[in-house]
Amino acid sequence: MSRPDDRAPLRVEGLSLLTSRDILLDRLSFAIEAGEVLALSGGAGAGKTLLLRALAGLAPKGVTVLGDIHIRGRRLLVTQDGALDPFRTLGAQFAELLSRQSGLDERTALRRAAEALERFQVPAAARRLALHPHELGEAMRWRAALALAMAAEPALLLADAPAAALDPTQRVRLLSDLAAWTREAGTALLLAGRPQADPIRSGLARSNLADRRLVLAQGRLEVPPAEPTPAPSPAEPAPSGPPVLSVRDLRVAFPLGRNWRGEERWLTVVDGLSIELAEGETLALLGETGSGKSVLARAILRLVPPVGGQVTWLGTDLAAAPPETMRRARRDLQILFPDPLAAFDPLMTIGAQLAETLESLHPSRSPANSAARLADALEEVGLPAAVLDLHPGALLPAEAARAGLARALLPEPRLLVCDEPAATLDGSERADFLALLQAIRRRRRLALLYATQDAAEGLRIGRRALVLLLGRIVESADSAILTAGARHPYSRALIAAAGLAPPALHGDPPSPLRPPTGCALRLRCPLAHDGCAQVPPTLDPVAPGHRVACHVAQDDAQNDAQVGGKAP
Amino acid sequence: MHEPAGTDPHWRDGPWQKAGQRLTAHRPAAAGLTVLAALMLAVAAGLVAGGGPVGAALAAGHQSLSFALLAGLGGAALGLLWGGAAVALGERAERMMMTPAAALTGLPLALALPLAGGLLGPERGLAPMAVVAALIAAPAVAVIARDELRALLRREFLSAVQAAGIPNGRRLRRHILPNTVLPLAAAAWTALPRALMAESLASLLGLGLPEGVTGWGTAIGAAARAGDAVALAGPALLLALTLWALHGVGDGMRLAFTASTPGGRR
Repeated sequence: MSRPDDRAPLRVEGLSLLTSRDILLDRLSFAIEAGEVLALSGGAGAGKTLLLRALAGLAPKGVTVLGDIHIRGRRLLVTQDGALDPFRTLGAQFAELLSRQSGLDERTALRRAAEALERFQVPAAARRLALHPHELGEAMRWRAALALAMAAEPALLLADAPAAALDPTQRVRLLSDLAAWTREAGTALLLAGRPQADPIRSGLARSNLADRRLVLAQGRLEVPPAEPTPAPSPAEPAPSGPPVLSVRDLRVAFPLGRNWRGEERWLTVVDGLSIELAEGETLALLGETGSGKSVLARAILRLVPPVGGQVTWLGTDLAAAPPETMRRARRDLQILFPDPLAAFDPLMTIGAQLAETLESLHPSRSPANSAARLADALEEVGLPAAVLDLHPGALLPAEAARAGLARALLPEPRLLVCDEPAATLDGSERADFLALLQAIRRRRRLALLYATQDAAEGLRIGRRALVLLLGRIVESADSAILTAGARHPYSRALIAAAGLAPPALHGDPPSPLRPPTGCALRLRCPLAHDGCAQVPPTLDPVAPGHRVACHVAQDDAQNDAQVGGKAP
Repeated sequence: MHEPAGTDPHWRDGPWQKAGQRLTAHRPAAAGLTVLAALMLAVAAGLVAGGGPVGAALAAGHQSLSFALLAGLGGAALGLLWGGAAVALGERAERMMMTPAAALTGLPLALALPLAGGLLGPERGLAPMAVVAALIAAPAVAVIARDELRALLRREFLSAVQAAGIPNGRRLRRHILPNTVLPLAAAAWTALPRALMAESLASLLGLGLPEGVTGWGTAIGAAARAGDAVALAGPALLLALTLWALHGVGDGMRLAFTASTPGGRR
């Protein structure tokens, strides 16, 4: 009797993993067909890595494996760190693996290796084979690790959170290339970890990364519910009135010492940025590592000293403000940090730190009054008052994020600067926290500056959005406009990556120490022409309320306007 | 989502208790602490009981350990002051003060003690030798202390303290200083094995502890010259055991107290 999935490269029936005390995974059954891509997600500690190790036959000591794992053909596990042998060149590692697995001689193996790297758009692949892993960047190392795995022609590839540390545009591009290859080669691919499909629901970007998704929760496999149509965020009127926060030509740079000629070298992180924010407005700052969004957020609160420009809060220039004025401004300006746990002093209880903040910013309150306020603040973020007696080390990431929010809300701020506040959270915890943040924002009519690398999240939260690249704004528009039709290639890539669709950028981001001449994106941009290398584009309007810093987009907009002008 | 914490007493443990638990969970550190405590008791008991090769080795241990403690504490204090001052005085001063410290750690400084012993001659006192041993141990402590302080000053919670408008003096008193205690203790500890090592080497050559003061190094040197294997074994074993224990505890302190993750959670 033959069942349809008998020929599947991986078939798991009733797989349970037990220790002497706990059931880690409970009777999992699933199969992956040849050429299928299965995404496995789940919160931290859900057992994704453990499952992959068990499937690779590498279950840790002390764990009992029950149930059946049927694997047809060769299986390969790419571990979380994508480790390569640090002492040997890429070519030697390819040659060894291929000669052992497929009996290829060295020349054939190296040719196969170069072809494999080219599948991941590695330029001059044959020359890279002479390099050691430490000579490659993080992105290139991942390309090499996955190419090495695929070159061995496995029937089943288990990838544990591949390239999780890379920026979204690089990661999604890499995973898309991998998925395309496994589909073509008929390899079953199990992708654990990150790719949580949270596609932007505009029809603009449609994910084709994974064929199926499974979620691991409490040791069980669940099929995720059909994606709910998102509740359309209540249309908020554009806030009117004068801006409360105004940032003009802000520059932040860090000294790097002198070069051999004795000239000072500076790393410019924020390069002449100007933004304005009205009362109750929400603004998203979108950008990846090195875009300057985080430093901008901190420079606004004067946690990082700017080297030039102005930050004005309610008409007061914060750069020149005396300490007492600055303290009054800090009541209004609060911040959420990317790692909320690290933002608490490990030696003090949460209660003591909250009380300290309250006392510093609102010194006149009586002790009884302030104790009640602390309890209220925790209740508002959904934490029990018992948390006040705990040290930060006892908090889970989700609790720490909420405690950080409670601390920021204590002085009753008017502007909340969020620097990737949910970066340590995954899945439903993340969604819950963001929903809480949104609800509190609406109730308190807070202005919000939300820095994130996840374009979908930023565009959902911010009514307006700025896209940052190497410390400059490259596009600025309402979120709805950006979602429907971003003009800058970098904005498009960010939005595509957020929807898990392959972004159209190639290569790796340039070093901020040595940015390219002209447009900062031109080396990765599919639309770049010679002119892009000459002059850096300026941020100019292409439509009302929509500004773009891109030569190509500006030319297109001009042509459109001319055509529109000629039409009757 | 939230299970009320506090039912499990482990969750109530403060950061200091947790640091202690992490230290004793590191096996070499736990063994090292046990060995050191046992040695202290044995040396004290040996002083009282005395007699025999074991008693003599334990009595020599008293001199060696006292010297190492004295010189080590001096070196630690000097190193902490060096590193702390470098960080406090600003970037230029830091570079000027730390460049020589880093250069000195690369040199075989332990050889400076027998050199000083030879220069000071047979009439040398204990105090100048202790000062030289302290100077030998200080640069490494200074370098580690500087690195730890720099890492601490970069930590996010200090930005959060700043965002809460807390004045600098209070920030230093309430947040920076308490958080320096454990990492600096780990840095200071490294001075102890260094001082003991330098003293034993110098004494072995007859250029360390002054005449009439017999440390482990002196005893090993004398036994080696006399060709007395039995007399050599006792002090040599005790010295090796002590150095191993000191390094084990030092490793444990470094791992447990300077965890890069805040709160030491893994």
